[in-house]
Amino acid sequence: MNRTPDVSEHILVCVSPSPSNPKVIRAAARMAEAFHASLTAIYIRPTNYDAMSVNDRARLQGNIRLAEQNGAAVTTIVGDDVPAQVAEYAHISGTTKIVLGRSGMRRRHFWSRMPLTEQIILNAPDVDVYIIPDSAADLRDQKERSHLTDHIRPTLKESAATVLILAAAAGIGLAFTRFGFSEANIITVFILGVLIVSVMTESPLYSAAGSLAGVLLFNWLFIEPRFSFHTYETEYAVTFAIMLVSSLITGTLANRLKLNARLAAREAFRTKVLLDTNQLLQKAENAETALQITAHQIITLLDRDVNIYPRAGSALDTAAVFDSPRPAGDASPADGNEREIAEWVFSNQQAAGFRMEAFPEAKEQYHAICLNGYCYGVVAIRLDKVPLEPFENSILISILGECALALENLRNMEEKEQAALMVRNEQLRSNLLRSISHDIRTPLTSISGNASNLLSHYAQLDDETRRQIFSDIYEDSEWLIDLVENLLSISRIENGQMDLHLSLEVMNDVIDEALKHVDRNAARHHITVQNDDDLLLVNMDARLIMQVLINLVNNAIKNTPAGSEILIRSGREENEALVSVCDNGPGIPDPVKSHVFEMFYTGQNKVADGRRGLGLGLALCRSIVEAHGGRISLSDNEPSGCRFVVSLPVKEVQVNE
Amino acid sequence: MNNPVVLVVEDDVHVRSLMITTLKTHDYRFLTAVNGAEAVMMASSHNPDVVFLDLGLPDMDGIEVIRQIRGWSNMPIIVISARSDDADKIEALDTGADDYLTKPFSVEELLARLRVTVRRLKTMGAGADDAGSVYTNGRLTIDYAAGCAFLDGEELKLTPIEYRLLCLLAKNTGKVLTHTYITRNIWGRSWDKDVASLRVFMATLRKKLESGPGAPTYIQTHIGIGYRMLKVD
Repeated sequence: MNRTPDVSEHILVCVSPSPSNPKVIRAAARMAEAFHASLTAIYIRPTNYDAMSVNDRARLQGNIRLAEQNGAAVTTIVGDDVPAQVAEYAHISGTTKIVLGRSGMRRRHFWSRMPLTEQIILNAPDVDVYIIPDSAADLRDQKERSHLTDHIRPTLKESAATVLILAAAAGIGLAFTRFGFSEANIITVFILGVLIVSVMTESPLYSAAGSLAGVLLFNWLFIEPRFSFHTYETEYAVTFAIMLVSSLITGTLANRLKLNARLAAREAFRTKVLLDTNQLLQKAENAETALQITAHQIITLLDRDVNIYPRAGSALDTAAVFDSPRPAGDASPADGNEREIAEWVFSNQQAAGFRMEAFPEAKEQYHAICLNGYCYGVVAIRLDKVPLEPFENSILISILGECALALENLRNMEEKEQAALMVRNEQLRSNLLRSISHDIRTPLTSISGNASNLLSHYAQLDDETRRQIFSDIYEDSEWLIDLVENLLSISRIENGQMDLHLSLEVMNDVIDEALKHVDRNAARHHITVQNDDDLLLVNMDARLIMQVLINLVNNAIKNTPAGSEILIRSGREENEALVSVCDNGPGIPDPVKSHVFEMFYTGQNKVADGRRGLGLGLALCRSIVEAHGGRISLSDNEPSGCRFVVSLPVKEVQVNE
Repeated sequence: MNNPVVLVVEDDVHVRSLMITTLKTHDYRFLTAVNGAEAVMMASSHNPDVVFLDLGLPDMDGIEVIRQIRGWSNMPIIVISARSDDADKIEALDTGADDYLTKPFSVEELLARLRVTVRRLKTMGAGADDAGSVYTNGRLTIDYAAGCAFLDGEELKLTPIEYRLLCLLAKNTGKVLTHTYITRNIWGRSWDKDVASLRVFMATLRKKLESGPGAPTYIQTHIGIGYRMLKVD
């Protein structure tokens, strides 16, 4: 059981309050074990969940618990379009097999005669569907029926329309008799009336009632003896029967046509919204834009205010607020417990809020953006007591599914990149260790040798020699300190990425601080600082950027003769902060320029200054600057020398008073 | 006031002897302790003027020593540690340390920090009488009662936030205040946005305070840590 499930197999089982559902869940669990597949249980929660009986609810809870005990990840989706949502979820979660109970098969939609299974097969043609036979009587049938009648409760408006249309048909019929037209014309008028009734009304009940009323009216008004339900001739019985049947068929057909047209229109709209969302999400480069796109699409669809709480680490970040363009004059103030609900949704991965089981008193509805048990964030949609239509709800769920899919792709991509970086950095680090252990010995030899000389031969040495030895010890230890600082920065390269502690810093403060740490030999050079922008704020890891500046200035000091000029200049150019370090030394020949940022490259001065420089400094500068999303470049300085330019991205800052 | 007494808490023999030599050559008096328990005992029995405290002690964490000393005394504590992470420094400062210095340190730097602290001690002793009304530091004067600040007798045009920042720093002259401490005091919370705002206000405040060439530095920036008001002669 502890074996990791084969990722290529993913079984989805539908949970329902049906008493036979446990059997289905167990079958699915056995299948998952046999296929070494991962198991997800999905429950499509109807929007009229409140109307569900206590028994059904208890059974549902039991079934959900059973699914969890069998190792299934349970997902609840709110919506009434069961087949579309199951298929949609199967699609986005990469499900390979769906397990259904037969009780689910009988469940039908008021506009459709197609069983649920068939619809799921149609919606998700590339998924295997397994049906578990069900011997227990379906206790929910009665419930179903009462649910069905909800949709065909007569309304005053539609009833009035029916009566009016039939009256009109009767009137036309009376006119026809006056003109001496045949009865066949009158029958056609009645059938036409029924047709109009079924087009104008919602429920098939009207066309049925209209058909019956039409036949009765026809009998009463036009068949001798008139104004009675009697007939003299028996052949009229046949006429009535045919008339009833044909008007019933006409009515039902028209009704079905209308429903199909509406369904098709909805389907087209749904496809368009989802397609748009999908296309936009594919273009998203990071999680932030993906969430923005999602929020925008939800607003386009629902025209309501949306808050998104993105995931940050293992918790939720602060909400990003997206207001719909609709004027929010009547919006009531927030309750203050939004965050609490969002966190509940985040940890339970279940919808909550208005008219839900959890937090039904909230003004918003909360949905988790999650996939395969990983939650990417929470979306809160402000309803203000106006619930979403079932259709809107189902598209919303699909959009959130697409969003989760996009976020998962982004996450996978990131992980892959990080893995590649890690390998590269691991190589770098081992090269580095080899190089250090060799180069660190030289200054240590000098320090310990010099100190031992002083200890044993102090008296024999003259003042000048002693001074020289002391200063050698000092310089070598300074070099080691410098090395340790660089190594500390390199050790920050962890898990394939430089671990940046970003904060907003004023550039000239950082430059001033860096100059306090440059080489002691700096006194022999003329260093000037020129800040073009006193308040140049850059989001950076101050310690690392200081290291960059220290390395650049030390590099200039090391490679130019005493008395050279070194100019550090900072300024802003559009969205970039530029810091340049220029010197008027001998400069760097072109063939060497392309190598200076390589690790362990020590330039041409190897002979002159054998042990100084590991070739770490400039390579480290480049890694640091690039980790900040910036660039470092080297060019010739006018009239002589070289010029290093560091550019870092600048973010506009909001200041709170 | 006689030569100040410095309590050196350091377990490493060489670094301890380096600090003692440095103090001796500059006529400071000193006491030594090699572990946390001894440090707390010495601090309570001898009441030194300044404590040099190493964080990595054999028996307990230096942070704990700060906490215990702060239980009954406000004596300045300068942390000297090999831990160079900003988080460690901030923790030490927020626990109550006055300043920090990372190893390896230069002897000049150690003496400079000690001078800053001693100068602060003197002003604390002298300024205790007229505390609360007027603050003077070099050319800078703050009239707390009137709620305005002057530079060379000329009123500084400060925004309310800048004024509050200036007062906060002035009341803690010589002490490094962490970003968190300052933002909590000014905005009552410490979010990223507040720390960003702090940078901006601090930069504009410094511009008003330290304009002109040769102007002394009143506010010292500690990158990644916080700010400190220096005592200017």
